[in-house]
Amino acid sequence: MSRKPGGGGGGLPAISTEDMCPVCKTIRYLNKDMEFLINPECYHSMCSNCVNRLFNDGPNQCPYAGCHRTLRRKGFRSAFFGDLSVEREVDIRRRVAAVFNQAEDDFETLRDYNNYLQMVEDLTFDLVSGGDAQRRAAEATLGQWEAEHKADIERNRKAGREADEQSRRRLAAERDAARQRRVEALREAEEEKLERVRSREAELDSLAQGETGAGGGAQRVQLKRRGHAAANRAVEAAVNTATAAADVGRLSIRGLKEKKKAPAPEGPYDPFGGMDFVPSRYKVHEGLSHPSIEKYKVDPGHITGGYNFDEYTTRAMFEAFAGLGVFIEDEKEVGIGLSAGEVATISAGIAAVGDSMELD
Amino acid sequence: MATEDARYRQTSQFQLWSISPTQLSAMREKTNAAARSRIAERLASLPALANTASAPTSSANTPDPDGTSTPALPEFLTAPEEAQLVTFFTSELLRAGDHAEMSDDIKATAAAFFRRFYVTNSIMTYPPQEMLIVALFFGCKAEGSFVSITDFVKTFGRDNPEQILAGEFLLCQGLRFAIDVKHPFRALRGALMELAVLPDIDHARLGAAENRAREILRFSPLITDAYFHYTPSQIMLAALSLADRGLAERLITQTFHHVAPPNNDSGADTPAASGPDGNNKPAPRSGGEDAAEIIGSHARDRVLGTIEACRDLLARELPERREHWTNKAVIKAQITPLRKKLNKCRDPERWNLVELQRARREQAAKRADSEDGDPDDRGGGGGNGAVDSDGAVFGDPLPPRDNNKRRKVVGVNGKGLDDPFGGPL
Repeated sequence: MSRKPGGGGGGLPAISTEDMCPVCKTIRYLNKDMEFLINPECYHSMCSNCVNRLFNDGPNQCPYAGCHRTLRRKGFRSAFFGDLSVEREVDIRRRVAAVFNQAEDDFETLRDYNNYLQMVEDLTFDLVSGGDAQRRAAEATLGQWEAEHKADIERNRKAGREADEQSRRRLAAERDAARQRRVEALREAEEEKLERVRSREAELDSLAQGETGAGGGAQRVQLKRRGHAAANRAVEAAVNTATAAADVGRLSIRGLKEKKKAPAPEGPYDPFGGMDFVPSRYKVHEGLSHPSIEKYKVDPGHITGGYNFDEYTTRAMFEAFAGLGVFIEDEKEVGIGLSAGEVATISAGIAAVGDSMELD
Repeated sequence: MATEDARYRQTSQFQLWSISPTQLSAMREKTNAAARSRIAERLASLPALANTASAPTSSANTPDPDGTSTPALPEFLTAPEEAQLVTFFTSELLRAGDHAEMSDDIKATAAAFFRRFYVTNSIMTYPPQEMLIVALFFGCKAEGSFVSITDFVKTFGRDNPEQILAGEFLLCQGLRFAIDVKHPFRALRGALMELAVLPDIDHARLGAAENRAREILRFSPLITDAYFHYTPSQIMLAALSLADRGLAERLITQTFHHVAPPNNDSGADTPAASGPDGNNKPAPRSGGEDAAEIIGSHARDRVLGTIEACRDLLARELPERREHWTNKAVIKAQITPLRKKLNKCRDPERWNLVELQRARREQAAKRADSEDGDPDDRGGGGGNGAVDSDGAVFGDPLPPRDNNKRRKVVGVNGKGLDDPFGGPL
């Protein structure tokens, strides 16, 4: 920011002296086209003649007594509001709004957004009507935030512009379409009149021509929008990389959504909840067999159906070793398998079953 | 953690029905106390004639029905007495299974069901003679052997299938719908397979050990609380150890063969000390700390300790004790007094399962009617004494959860089935 806010809050002239330039004391009576200009450096108003006279040759001091600001001709403009303090406040607000331009969508909760708005308003108030120290502090905060969140601000500004652009385009398209319709209606009326003298075929032809024209226009609009969306995405990607590189600022606003965090990729679904089926105490190796299943291995009733004896072996081996290291007495009392609380609730549940069984 | 153990921890047997001895005895005490207070309440509130009218079948096999007419409360069974009766009826169940020529798996499953059911339900509340048949019938179904109910009741010389069906859902509820019971039978085969491939093993010895271990597994763990306290593989190894101690220790030494790496000299890692066959221990395999934890010497010692404890438990009820449980003198000395006591102190409303079932159905139907129509008509209908007394019980202001559950009971028995797993227990 090259501009510095005006320091002469107390020296603002009342525009009751509407008709007299406070610098050259010219009055409107002498110069009908007299126009008062202000510079947002200090908001001291003077007539355009004075501006030309004083600042034509480059930067110069403000001619007001006691105001030592250096003004440039480029900075002068005519005031929109009669009250210059209002003019100044609006300028400040515009500047703050350009920096703190987060939208509600950027926040996780409405409360966070409201807190943010409150913070911005406090800062603006400090700038507009705070004391010297407050204003300096607010100024520093503003500058710092702007420096640290350049990318965000830029993106939001673009988004805002995009939205404006789009709504403008939409409005324009609607206006266009309305005009088109009006023209169409007019022409139809015209043709209606001409119908008496024209043939029916000629009328149909003209109608068909009108329709293809409208269709083409719509398609063009569509294409344009699509192009904009692609550009949008590119901008967003660039901004994301920029924000990823940027350091996190000291002024942090709570509740801002984390944009760059992609959802963690989910692995494939595991129906067994991560249970491991590889035995850890034994190995199912070849040659495991039992005399009592030997006879079934040659029994057509079993082998024809495709009975897998390995399955039986695996299962028997699993059962022989499953739970070997589960010490119920320790686990249920100390609560290794289930926590002690769960055990208690289960016991209580069982007891409750007993009770309610008694009850009903 | 070993993957096999992790898989075993997923089973309902571990999650719901693995209990430490102290927890089990606490639960039995609690069940006993609850049953006492309920039955005392009901006996006190019940007029004598209502009881005789409601339970004609039970009065037939009641030797002295005078206990109900006196206002004085009978002497209740204690929790250890209940446990002894449950054990006796478990042996009856196994005999009944032998009589019906059922497979080992079915008998074992039925026995596990029966014992589990009487952890949270008192033997004074529901009749054990009925429930053991129900457990056998449901065990058949749980093991995939579907016999028709008419054939089944004929096997046991009864004629009314209703008696068995009435208790079926009750049993399921008592099991908390954990139907799958893990048995050590197939595990024994696996262990034998593993042993058979060892180079210096005598196959005749293996066969003898297997027969004996199987014999033990058919009886000892079922009639004790082994299924609550130990995993199937531990039970299997304990039985194998009872049959042939050398083989069991050989297998354990073989499995937990991991030796700590030399830099981690934690002391004398002498697998030879733990078993007579430890001298042909395989060469130490490369493995990290996981391996040390899963198949190291520390784990081996813990497993050995657990198996030793299980072995002691099984040794109390070796298969030779089958005769003990059918010995007339023993029954007369130990069981008959308890059964006499039981006859006096049983629950007057729960004892007859068929009546209970019917009353529940009527009650549920009436409740459904009264919910549809006018709610005041609820106590009007039943002329039967049993229904009235049940109505007095059911009419108590219960939490809505219980109402839901009762509706579910009816749903399974006849009408639509809302939730196959029943209400939240």
